[in-house]
Amino acid sequence: MPAADDDGVTTMRFGAMACEAELTVAGRAPDRRLLDAAAAEVRRIEAAYSRYRADSVVSRINAAAGSGEPITVDEETAGLLDFAARLHAQSDGLFDITSGILRRAWDFRSGRLPEAPVLAALCARIGWHKVDWQPATRRIALTEPGMELDFGGFGKEYAADRAAAVLQAGGIASGYVNLGGDLRVIGPPADGRGWALGIQHPRDDRRTVAGIELKGGALATSGDYERYLDLDGRRYCHILDPRSGWPVQHWQSVSVIAPVCLAAGALSTIAMLKGPAAPAFLDAQRVPWLAVDTAGLPVRNGI
Amino acid sequence: MAATERDPAVADAAPARDWCGSVVLAALSLPGVLGAPLPAAADSAPEHATLQFKTEHYQDSQPGFQRIRVEEPAIYGLLPLGEHLSLSGSAVYDVVSGASPRSYSSTSSASRVHEKRFSGDAELTWYADRSSYGVSAARSQEHDYISNSVSGDAVFATDDNNTAFNIGLSASRDTINPTNDIVDDEHRTTYAGIVGVTRAVSVNDLVQIQAGYSTSHGYLSDPYKLFDNRPRKRNSGTGSLRWNHHLGDYGATLRGSYRVFHDTYGIWSHTAELQWVQPVGLHWVLTPGLRYYTQNAARFYVDPPADGAPFPQLPDGAFSSLDHRLSAFGAFAVSQKVEWHINAHWSTDFRGEFYQARSSFRFVGQGSPGLATFQYYQLQFGISYRF
Amino acid sequence: MNRLAAGLIAITACAVSSGCAMQAPKPWQKGVLAKPEMTMAGDMLELKFNDHTWTSKEASFGGFGVGGGGCGCN
Repeated sequence: MPAADDDGVTTMRFGAMACEAELTVAGRAPDRRLLDAAAAEVRRIEAAYSRYRADSVVSRINAAAGSGEPITVDEETAGLLDFAARLHAQSDGLFDITSGILRRAWDFRSGRLPEAPVLAALCARIGWHKVDWQPATRRIALTEPGMELDFGGFGKEYAADRAAAVLQAGGIASGYVNLGGDLRVIGPPADGRGWALGIQHPRDDRRTVAGIELKGGALATSGDYERYLDLDGRRYCHILDPRSGWPVQHWQSVSVIAPVCLAAGALSTIAMLKGPAAPAFLDAQRVPWLAVDTAGLPVRNGI
Repeated sequence: MAATERDPAVADAAPARDWCGSVVLAALSLPGVLGAPLPAAADSAPEHATLQFKTEHYQDSQPGFQRIRVEEPAIYGLLPLGEHLSLSGSAVYDVVSGASPRSYSSTSSASRVHEKRFSGDAELTWYADRSSYGVSAARSQEHDYISNSVSGDAVFATDDNNTAFNIGLSASRDTINPTNDIVDDEHRTTYAGIVGVTRAVSVNDLVQIQAGYSTSHGYLSDPYKLFDNRPRKRNSGTGSLRWNHHLGDYGATLRGSYRVFHDTYGIWSHTAELQWVQPVGLHWVLTPGLRYYTQNAARFYVDPPADGAPFPQLPDGAFSSLDHRLSAFGAFAVSQKVEWHINAHWSTDFRGEFYQARSSFRFVGQGSPGLATFQYYQLQFGISYRF
Repeated sequence: MNRLAAGLIAITACAVSSGCAMQAPKPWQKGVLAKPEMTMAGDMLELKFNDHTWTSKEASFGGFGVGGGGCGCN
């Protein structure tokens, strides 16, 4: 429900993509239909790329895995597949949208670690190189049975950008979109300062490790505190290395500022996967970042 | 010291392509991610200032006659003044040398031409939420011809920004003082108006139709051509259609336009143009273009006499012109433009065009089989800085 | 000629009223239309140069805008 406060800031909250979504707009009260349109855009992307919906593009591609029958995808999906291909190349294979099947071995609520042979069998099916993606004809085929694509690695961030674009196209110049902690700023509030945004402490959700003012662009955080299990003093989180099938362990969280949320989210995830090489990687990508190491100490450049 | 509340740091993450890493670039290349700063149909205030330098080299030829060459350096600037206002202006200097094309000129020798022209204009535009308003003034000056004009235009967009209506009015006052003193301190006054509608008809199509009207009175003849006696009033109307279509499969845009023109001299003309805008990678854009033009002859146009034949006998005061530009002809032009967007600030472009006009290329009208083929090429080089 | 004009008007009227199969874009579908090459505007100096050349070689002028003033070349 949209709610406007005295400062002329209107906020609409709704649930989407398994998280709390927030649209905040400053200035003249926006048309309710515009906020609805932005929310609808988030839900459209959720429906299009959800693994859980049989009619989604992703489900159709996955259902045809190993059948030898290519699926022709729409332009938007093709753009995202191209993006995934570039992320794979630029992360030296660490960011791989075929690695979602590891989820079958990792049950974070069970309190048990997966068995090595199960992980090994799943890892054998992972690999972007086993995806036959033809950008020119927009045809895609997963060459082995049991393979799966998962757009979860950037779907939420993409939706935040698209929702922001909807608001912007509708004339909104000031506001931001927050999809479960992935933020995309449309424009600064009227006072000329940026939106004051906090970066959550990875071990205490009532504290922040840093505050920043953002006038534009996006802020995204990847952390080991979203889904995890703690066992024998070690944390096993949902960010999994596609080569071994095991969770990353070098950082508690990585936050990145980039012009768009899609880039910020992808960079923060790749940084988690890169482990000790993350600072050099992020610096080479010329983005401001802040990482919290396993001891809880922040390391940063630009934030 | 695991957790600290720091003073907020101010970070600016505005996208600037040359400062972007590869992942950021990959994300920015996805449509709809960065957002659409420009509404579809209406203009919005520019966010960046632009300075542009462009120069043109033009050379034409016609069998049996000397060539005319034009060198034309120009500058253009666009400056945002706050959120709602922008100022733009340009200055063009051209130097014409050689002889003017005179396939049917009546003088016996080709006189040397060495003309200089300076022209400049400035426009102030005000941008409101769903509309914009511009006023401009322009001046063009040659030693024998001065033109001053003012114009205003307005654009109104609908609430969904999918349709915009535009209207424009202009007035110009020209003063003519030919060196041959055939007339002295003559004037030409022109009023013109245009209305149009632009509509985003699909996610990939933008269409514009416009209707224009212009009325001129005063001295409309060419003082340097014998037997050139044109009516002192000329009204003309135009209808135009422009259609831009994006082809997602190629990442290309096809830009098409058509214009029909009719005036009280009895001329009908048709102009069709096609451009294929093809981005190549992140930094290059190639644009090949094709243009076709055809017109019939003005009612009072007189075909020139064949070699050695006497000039036509015309009754005193009768309207007449031997100006080949008023004859029936057709013309094809092919062009190619190459743009290099070096980084977020600098870009440079090069454009070449070849044009050939023949009476046999005409699609409308008749006559003038003897008109010599006229052709030109022009090369343009530009460099622009955005900040 | 009149038939041609009538045809032109029919095509554009259809397009402009979106009575054809095409669907006007929603606010979030305007990414493509915002591309510089999709707008009706263009390179100002290039338009000026070309317009100058063509109006000085052909009998027709105007059609896409007003302003800019006259010149002794036509």
